[in-house]
Amino acid sequence: MINPKIKFTNVSQSFNGISKNETILQDLNFEIFAEEFVCILGPSGSGKTTILGLVAGFIKPSSGNILFNSKKINRPDSTRTLVFQEYALFPWLNILDNVAFGLTTKKHKNNHVKEIALEYLNMVGLAAYKDYSVSQLSGGMKQRVAIARALAVDPEALLLDEPFGALDQQTRENMQVELTRLMTKTKKTVLFVTHSVDEALKLADRILVIGGKPGKLLFDTTITVSKPRDLNNNQLVSIRNKILDKLSQPDLFMGSDI
Amino acid sequence: MKITLIRITFFIALFSIWYLIVKLGQIPSYILPSPISVFESFYFGFIKGGYTIAIFSSLLRVLIGYFLALGIGVITGILLARYYLLDITFGRTILALQSIPSVAWVPLALLWFGITDSAVIFIIILEAVLPVALSTKNAMKNIPPNLIRAAQTLGSKGLHLYQNVIIKAMIPELVTGLRLSWAFAWRALIAGELFISGSGIGQTLELGRSLADMAQVIAMITTIGFIGFLTENIFFGTIERKVRLAWGLQ
Repeated sequence: MINPKIKFTNVSQSFNGISKNETILQDLNFEIFAEEFVCILGPSGSGKTTILGLVAGFIKPSSGNILFNSKKINRPDSTRTLVFQEYALFPWLNILDNVAFGLTTKKHKNNHVKEIALEYLNMVGLAAYKDYSVSQLSGGMKQRVAIARALAVDPEALLLDEPFGALDQQTRENMQVELTRLMTKTKKTVLFVTHSVDEALKLADRILVIGGKPGKLLFDTTITVSKPRDLNNNQLVSIRNKILDKLSQPDLFMGSDI
Repeated sequence: MKITLIRITFFIALFSIWYLIVKLGQIPSYILPSPISVFESFYFGFIKGGYTIAIFSSLLRVLIGYFLALGIGVITGILLARYYLLDITFGRTILALQSIPSVAWVPLALLWFGITDSAVIFIIILEAVLPVALSTKNAMKNIPPNLIRAAQTLGSKGLHLYQNVIIKAMIPELVTGLRLSWAFAWRALIAGELFISGSGIGQTLELGRSLADMAQVIAMITTIGFIGFLTENIFFGTIERKVRLAWGLQ
């Protein structure tokens, strides 16, 4: 019996809204296993980013508990690294120093920080830009740097919060291919948040559909189609239909005041 | 190069017109002396040593006041950012105090400290504390939260987080505060020096008035403007521009 990498048990999340308590997530129960590429899919506002925040350790669950490697998550650290939708690169550092940032902490410090950073920058194809400043890069390039920066600390889990949401269609497709390629090279547990069904179908080994207000786990499915995937594949079409069906159920928003 | 030539031409023209107005209009020297008299005032002022000592004394006063103001200001700013109650009370007061011109503090300073250096330094600190306290507070509050989270998720915390992220994120706004504080300090210095004894640019300016020596008055005004320009625009201005560039015009 293999222990799950990440385990959510009866997790609910509320916070003090403008006038009253707002429940964002309710009774989440699921397990994610090592090296799974999991997409958390749902409409905007369904609490997907909150799930990542809970796994990253930025927030604590209002109730229930979350285990990582069978231990409670206490605080953010470099075993679970988050890639932000708006990149969050440090503007006062050049590209190489951004990638090297996580390696400058006590835990990682050694004499080869810059060489290691350059390796990861090379992995995302941007070694030539190591001395550039952040403002000189395009959105897609910035996101690749952010991914390299996250991978450089060799995390066990890579968390991505709609990382390609701010990019144009073409760049987004290129990045999806890039990410798939990277993840086959460096085996990690991946949690990828998106509101695009097609993106999830293209990338994920497993899709967790979160929806409703408050957000609940609506659907948990595994995809066995090999990559790269053709979205016209029968299995994918049937899964898409099931997902869209789940997301359009009328009682989804009961319990909220919409 | 072309700009410098235009500027030089401008000043030569200015001095020529000035000289002609004084010569042809037969204007009394206590109203407007000729530019030659002003140059003479500078020449003898520096040769006989009065002006050099005055400039040094003034710079010493303003530097003491400025650095004391920085220390107090940064600590105050951090406290204002940290404690909401302090911000809505004391912080609001500081904002209002900024509208009071330096010269309004002179009577209070003189009554408390007499016509001494301490009075001037007191006014300088009072004025210079305000911009640096407010910009420290704002710099702390305006740190993009995702930059902190990005650092934390990469394993940064404690001192590493403070040194490498929090302070770095604050620097552009801090530098602007430092420049404004200096500007306030320089103006407070001159206002205060007009009323106290000892040597200094302000005192020399006031002496010129009491002797009806307009050339000395103009010489001192020019000195004040020149040092102010060098420090505020050339020195601080360059630093501010370079920092904003390095931070990606944040």
